Amino acid sequence: GPGAGPERCPSAPLSAGWLPALQFVRRGSKAVTRHWKAMHFQRQKLMAVTEYLAPRPAVPPRCLPRRKETLEEDNGYARLLQRQVEEVFRDNRMIAVCQYNSMPGEDVVLMRHYLRKHDIEVKFVLNEIVRDVLSQSKYKNLLPLFVARNILLVSREAKAKEMLRVLKGVPQINLLGACIHDTILSRQGVENFAKLPSLEAAQGQTVGALALLPSQTSSLLQRGSAHLTALLDQHIRRLQAGETGSPAEPPPAQSTEAH
Amino acid sequence: AGITFPEKTKLKFMDKVPAVPKVRREPRQLRDIRGPSREATDFIQGQYGILALGGGYLHWGHFEMIRLTIGRSMDPKTMFAVWRVSAPSKPVTRKSLGHRMGGGKGPVDRYVTAVKSGRLVGEVGGRCEFGEVKPFLTQVAGKLPFPAVPVSRDSLRQMRREEEEKRLNNQNPWTFERVAAANMLGMRKYLSPYDLRLKGRYWGKFFLKHRV
Repeated sequence: GPGAGPERCPSAPLSAGWLPALQFVRRGSKAVTRHWKAMHFQRQKLMAVTEYLAPRPAVPPRCLPRRKETLEEDNGYARLLQRQVEEVFRDNRMIAVCQYNSMPGEDVVLMRHYLRKHDIEVKFVLNEIVRDVLSQSKYKNLLPLFVARNILLVSREAKAKEMLRVLKGVPQINLLGACIHDTILSRQGVENFAKLPSLEAAQGQTVGALALLPSQTSSLLQRGSAHLTALLDQHIRRLQAGETGSPAEPPPAQSTEAH
Repeated sequence: AGITFPEKTKLKFMDKVPAVPKVRREPRQLRDIRGPSREATDFIQGQYGILALGGGYLHWGHFEMIRLTIGRSMDPKTMFAVWRVSAPSKPVTRKSLGHRMGGGKGPVDRYVTAVKSGRLVGEVGGRCEFGEVKPFLTQVAGKLPFPAVPVSRDSLRQMRREEEEKRLNNQNPWTFERVAAANMLGMRKYLSPYDLRLKGRYWGKFFLKHRV
């Protein structure tokens, strides 16, 4: 039966296939088990040492010229997304690129709602597609912005003030840069742009500034006659003050009829 | 090209119990699972087959599953399938549930066939391509109790060639068989005498494909 500990086998002549002097009789599970039987640590070490080592190529692969792997990812989906991004860049006057840190879903919906009120749409874009589109279009300087998770805020009118106000309330979105009316602005540029007065006010200001001179010319031309009228009025008043009591109607009526 | 179809193209029905059931209960003899297979390692009639990559027992349920799946997925007019394993003949006992140890050996529960790694379970042939046959063969191979892969004559030859190349161009100067045969560092204390033959590629019923 199974005995514990080492057993010494009877002395056999060395030449006729010797058995090891010590034979540990194993107990425990059998050799073939349903589970992966745990190996003795020495056996594990032996298995680790005698693993297969692949032959190294004569030239290491990094010295060989690298074959440009043409990504077959130009499937219809990628092309569709590219077309969408190009459309976005064409249609909208203001495009702002913001960094997007993960926000709770309801906050995203709220932010979208507020921005939608001002006609600003929020678009989630994939960096690879946007990078492809940008490198072919003229917006090459926007390329370094598209790293990590971004969103695009696009709109037809450039409502920078409202956008900044909404984004201030949302701390997880940081404005990186914008392209307003085909001019690339940084964060500072957007803030300055927002501080500018609105288009109507600016137009009104320019019109007012331009109309200032013509309005002055008419007053200039009328200055002589106005001066004369003022002098005559003064004179009449002095005469009236001198003739207290006498009716002063005829002289002022005559002086006014003269003009 | 020169393919002879057998009489019955579908797989033969295998009995659950052999015609002469064994009365004498046999010892477990798990050595019929261990190590590489010596029989049915190469193709005979068909062109594609299922290769076992581990040892295990196939019982009647497995046989039925294979027979029905292959029978359902193949076209009996253009393809034929052939068994490469025998009907279950080894009785396996099981003690009834809920009894303590002792009280003798349990009664015979079922009959199984032993399959060692490297053996073909079944073959499929005829006027068909590997691509047609592979789906249902992979489906069957996944349901077997041991890991198995569908193979064709070419792919099996390729596999053997790759193994041979791996063995030859191994840069590691220390191989299991060398260490075991020379008893380096007294390793045989921790190895079985069978390891001299199994050469570290087999452990229990498992076949270690990535070794050597």
